Amino acid sequence: MARAASIAVLLAALAAGGCDERRRAATPLPGFSAPFVFGRFQVPADNPLTAEAVALGRRLFYDPRLSAAGTVSCSTCHIQRLAFTDGRATSVGVSGRPLAFNSMTLANLIWGPQRFFWNGRAASLEEQALVPIEHADEMAQDLGRLVAQLSADASYRELFETAYGETSPDTIARALASFVRTLISSNSRYDQFLRGEIALEAQEELGRKLFMAHPDVKVSLRGANCIDCHSQFLTGGFSARYDGFANNGLDDEEHLQPGLQLVTGSPAHRGLFKVPSLRNIALTAPYMHDGRFTTLEQVLDHYDRGIQNSSTLSPLIVEADNRGTAGEGRISLHLTPEEKAAIIAFLHTLTDQDFVTAERFSDPFAHK
Amino acid sequence: MNRVRKATLRMLVLLALAAALGLAGWWLYRGAQPVELTLYFHPFVGPEPLVLNESRYPNPGGEGRFTVRDFQFLLSNIRLSGATGAYVESDSYHLVRFDGDDPAAVIVLHDVPRRDYERIEFGIGVDAAANRSLTPRGDLDPNGRMAWTWEVGYKFVLFEGALLRGTASVPLVYHVGFDESYRPISTDLHGEPLDSRQARLDFRVDILRLFQGATTVDMAALPAVKFDRADAALLARNFAAMVTPMWPDAARTSRDP
Repeated sequence: MARAASIAVLLAALAAGGCDERRRAATPLPGFSAPFVFGRFQVPADNPLTAEAVALGRRLFYDPRLSAAGTVSCSTCHIQRLAFTDGRATSVGVSGRPLAFNSMTLANLIWGPQRFFWNGRAASLEEQALVPIEHADEMAQDLGRLVAQLSADASYRELFETAYGETSPDTIARALASFVRTLISSNSRYDQFLRGEIALEAQEELGRKLFMAHPDVKVSLRGANCIDCHSQFLTGGFSARYDGFANNGLDDEEHLQPGLQLVTGSPAHRGLFKVPSLRNIALTAPYMHDGRFTTLEQVLDHYDRGIQNSSTLSPLIVEADNRGTAGEGRISLHLTPEEKAAIIAFLHTLTDQDFVTAERFSDPFAHK
Repeated sequence: MNRVRKATLRMLVLLALAAALGLAGWWLYRGAQPVELTLYFHPFVGPEPLVLNESRYPNPGGEGRFTVRDFQFLLSNIRLSGATGAYVESDSYHLVRFDGDDPAAVIVLHDVPRRDYERIEFGIGVDAAANRSLTPRGDLDPNGRMAWTWEVGYKFVLFEGALLRGTASVPLVYHVGFDESYRPISTDLHGEPLDSRQARLDFRVDILRLFQGATTVDMAALPAVKFDRADAALLARNFAAMVTPMWPDAARTSRDP
């Protein structure tokens, strides 16, 4: 069983990987650790996690100067107390026009699919970081103008000089990516359970078992097949290739959006979106890539009996049926109301109060 | 004149000695240079190369045609052995997957000592010790798609697709795991030369053989294999026949645990 094997991750080696001669300081991040069961992760060799880069990234994350009007920062749509989501169906930036997509949680992005945005169009956090800044509806900032503004600020000049040796779009992206990589949520009740510190309540434990099982009538195993897309410990998408993207039956063939197909060009990827981490899911409503569901009850009802069939829907979803009637018409898990309530109870064990209140992730300008 | 001839002779002898030494040195050097051995796995469904998402393959035990949407398996504990010694790959856990973008799946073994190996051994699936461990080794990832849960271990072979009968489509889900399904296979290299700097071995992976063995599976009657151990054993018995060498006269043995 997963025990308390929480290992401190040595970052000295990572920090030593960089070779920017002008960088003045590269202090390994103090106290950076991750649970053993979350597995391996990688930090780009050209952007080692250093205390200086993370401190700079945190400041940029909360700075509204990243938007044209000086009104919107990353934290406008990624609010810490909501596990870095914004509580809206789809986000609203400087233009006031609602965006097409729901704001995703930033928890534990160092694991899972290393492609970002719901359709996976960014191949790294560094690549992702600049997109909202330049997007006309999100922050509408010109990168040249942003660099000029930050360079005119003595404290930023010093921070950039210390962390990277220069102020540029590239170092802005690297600093933001570094901060986001440190946003680790690992002290929920589920984590405490995995470390053997607590037992789950009976209802939560029933929900955990259902979450972790693909149903099999033949051996009387009831399940909600959540684990077919959400990994057992991280509860997020799988990291290999495009395994972390799925068509979860929201739309029928006619209404399928391109999703991952926009990135790969493959018809087999039509309607596939990134599988998000379910960490802090009770705090991150509304749900789905377009925020169409406002409650976890609606989400469970969707998976139980709302699945729309289409050519790219996974056989794992079509076949998952606790009555063993798959292939005979309507797709349904056939869960009982008690089972759905149990799964929701388990999902609440993924809430991590430390994560949503930790000062190291909070607005540095508010602590001045 | 005599002196000149003597000097020439001496020169020739020296040159011959130098050449012999050079040759021996080169021979020793070459012998000490490790080999890079690449294993290629070519996916087939019966006689045809695998094409994903196309309903062209007949149901081996009944009516209808099936499509393959995803097919991957875990291959473990690669070992080369012969009279002069063995090579054992460390953390030898490989996910062999066919995503349709490459004609073959590839495993590269670096720094294989140059020896006269007589056989190659590996297992289909994951040995019991690794199957019960949460340590990420090789391609084993407890948070990956091949992981069931920590209570059950890994899926050894994953096949997902559909069976089409008329207008009806039946989902096919074959997730075959459990400790007892692990199949070690030993294949005779039969003089396959592994001494070039970039040697290769080719294997045929015939997905149809998963369903055609001691018993032939009617996909309509058995559209899913998951946690039923008897069903898993039924398909696991065919693991060895599913992965076969493509070089001639390769004698092989597979033992059932």
